[in-house]
Amino acid sequence: MHKRIALVAVLAMVLIGGLVVVATAAEYVPGAPIKAGFIYIGPVGDYGWSHAHDVARQIVENEFPWLSTVYVETVGTGEVVSTVDKLVNDQHCNVIFTTSFDFMDGTVAAAAKYPDVIFAHNSGFKRAPNLATYMADFYQVYYLNGLAAGALTETNKLGYVGAVPIPEVKRHLNAFVIGALEVNPEATVDVRWINEWLNPAAAKEAAEALIADGCDVFAFTEDTPTVVQVAAENGFPSFAHYSPMYKFAPDYVVSGEMVHWDKIYADFLQKIYAGTYTAHNLQNVDYWWLLGQGSVEMAAEPGMAINPVYVDKLKAITIDHPTFGKISVYDLIETRLNQMSDPGITFDPYQGPIYDRKGNLQVAAGAWLSVDSLVSLEWAVKGVVGPWPGEP
Amino acid sequence: MGWESWVISTFARALAYGTPLLLGTLGEIFAERSGVLNLGIEGMMIMGAYSAFVVTYTTGHPWLGILVAAVVGGAFSLIHAFATVTLKANQVVSGLALTMLGLGLSGVLGRSWVGLPLFTTLRNVTVPGLSAIPIIGPGLFTRQNLLVYITMLLVPILWYILFHTRIGITIRAVGEDPAAADSLGVNVDRVRYLCVVVGGVFAGIAGAYLSVAYRPAWTEGMTGGMGWIVIALTIFAFWNPVYGLLGSYLFAALYHLSYRLQTWVSPELLKAMPYVFAIIILIFVSRGTLQKRMGSPAALGVPYTRGEE
Repeated sequence: MHKRIALVAVLAMVLIGGLVVVATAAEYVPGAPIKAGFIYIGPVGDYGWSHAHDVARQIVENEFPWLSTVYVETVGTGEVVSTVDKLVNDQHCNVIFTTSFDFMDGTVAAAAKYPDVIFAHNSGFKRAPNLATYMADFYQVYYLNGLAAGALTETNKLGYVGAVPIPEVKRHLNAFVIGALEVNPEATVDVRWINEWLNPAAAKEAAEALIADGCDVFAFTEDTPTVVQVAAENGFPSFAHYSPMYKFAPDYVVSGEMVHWDKIYADFLQKIYAGTYTAHNLQNVDYWWLLGQGSVEMAAEPGMAINPVYVDKLKAITIDHPTFGKISVYDLIETRLNQMSDPGITFDPYQGPIYDRKGNLQVAAGAWLSVDSLVSLEWAVKGVVGPWPGEP
Repeated sequence: MGWESWVISTFARALAYGTPLLLGTLGEIFAERSGVLNLGIEGMMIMGAYSAFVVTYTTGHPWLGILVAAVVGGAFSLIHAFATVTLKANQVVSGLALTMLGLGLSGVLGRSWVGLPLFTTLRNVTVPGLSAIPIIGPGLFTRQNLLVYITMLLVPILWYILFHTRIGITIRAVGEDPAAADSLGVNVDRVRYLCVVVGGVFAGIAGAYLSVAYRPAWTEGMTGGMGWIVIALTIFAFWNPVYGLLGSYLFAALYHLSYRLQTWVSPELLKAMPYVFAIIILIFVSRGTLQKRMGSPAALGVPYTRGEE
């Protein structure tokens, strides 16, 4: 009898021991090779968000000999933990990047399950000792594009095809409007929402609807070059989003927003490799990288801030600016770009006084909006026309 | 910018967005009329979109791309025909598998084709003369590509074939009562094979329309669920090409309006509108007596084995 109990006890201990081994990945030792796992919400073939992350993944993998990477694409919001299980247990990843706002709670749960694995979640705000957050944000670039758009419109109606009405998209859209109104107080921006991140047909029909309503310059948030193509087909200028789209309409893409996620990935991974970041000190690590850090760029394609076709046009349009007096739109864009790229930033698009379209003062005169307010922004700035789900 | 702009844009977008839906529906009508339900439209469509893009990009000839897409769509549908007609497998399962296979395969194969601009696209044409008619001209005859009109012309032809020729009677007989057709000497399997392949060819062309005309580029998953709309539209059409045209254009018009009306109506509600319309029609159609009258093929979804009654 005793023997049997002892046997059961031994078996139980072996089993429990086995389980513990499964659930605990070895903690990373600085200087050892890093295996990073990337979890994408979309297909890497979307030519938008997930594509840009995957381009960055390949850049850092080629850059660092001590780094190897794997990725999983088209992962559902509820599949984060099970995907992490596979990446940690089967692929032996010691760093995991989850690249969608929707993965936030799943990443928090996974980080709690694997306290020795280093996690970084993209575009969220929940952190833990082994979970950092990071974002390369476009609002400055959208503002710069807005300056050009406000100058180029003839109908004073700009069109914006919005993906999903979350604070990130609203912040970008508002910044675009703020820029447009700075050079053209008569301008308005019509917005149409498609409520999806990737749907070329929806983006096309939304753009066509804007054209039917008289818009003549276009910006958008959707993961394909559709809006650029539709605008060009109708002879209208537009601004690229996320990936280089100049080549889709060389005569019509004025500029756009380019992302360089690799800058953030390189910095984060190097600091892990050097032992600066560990699975115990990430509670306050939040990358909020903008023009100044080089993680975003105003460009139709890398290196081309403004399409040469539009340079003379923008130089020829002069406005009476409250700060700079008589200035060409081209010079204004350059001045603002420099102000925001300098290490000691001297300008922010969300510089008060800014009123929302219901007439409430949202940013006091002379003040800048804090990062927290930017991240949770829900209001629509004056000049936005059209629906605004969740408007306070 | 008065009411004219609304009529014009609604007509124009109904044709542009409705054409791939109509193409898919025409093909599915033939497959289902012969008694084979094919839920693989989405998969065949995206294979068509992918192959048309690749061929057009490499050769510079959009019509060649469309031709290849038709062949690829047809070849792809053979998988379904083999599984359901020869092996008598469950049509729903086989169709779903075809959709998943198509989406996955095109995604993997298409990886290096992402982000490439296509400039040799199916050009938009403006019909001389007709385009000068007020409202109807800009609505129906301006800035549409040839495939839009070809598809339109196919509707009466296919309708005639299905309801007024021997071939049509044979197809419908096979879909209604394969045993009876068999006893009259009709080769049931061959008819079903042919009809499924016709469905695949049309789905392939529908995909090609998307990638070389409607929105010339390759993006993974770019059909975005159109194949499922086609399934619903086939029922809406009462398996009749003429109603197929009506349903496709109506759905597309609603889809367009769901963006134009956003200034006044909540976008979430509008987004659901075309689909709610489809569901209401489906509920209406699936009431038993009506279904009988409206021509649902009696043997739809039932594998046929000789001598089994």
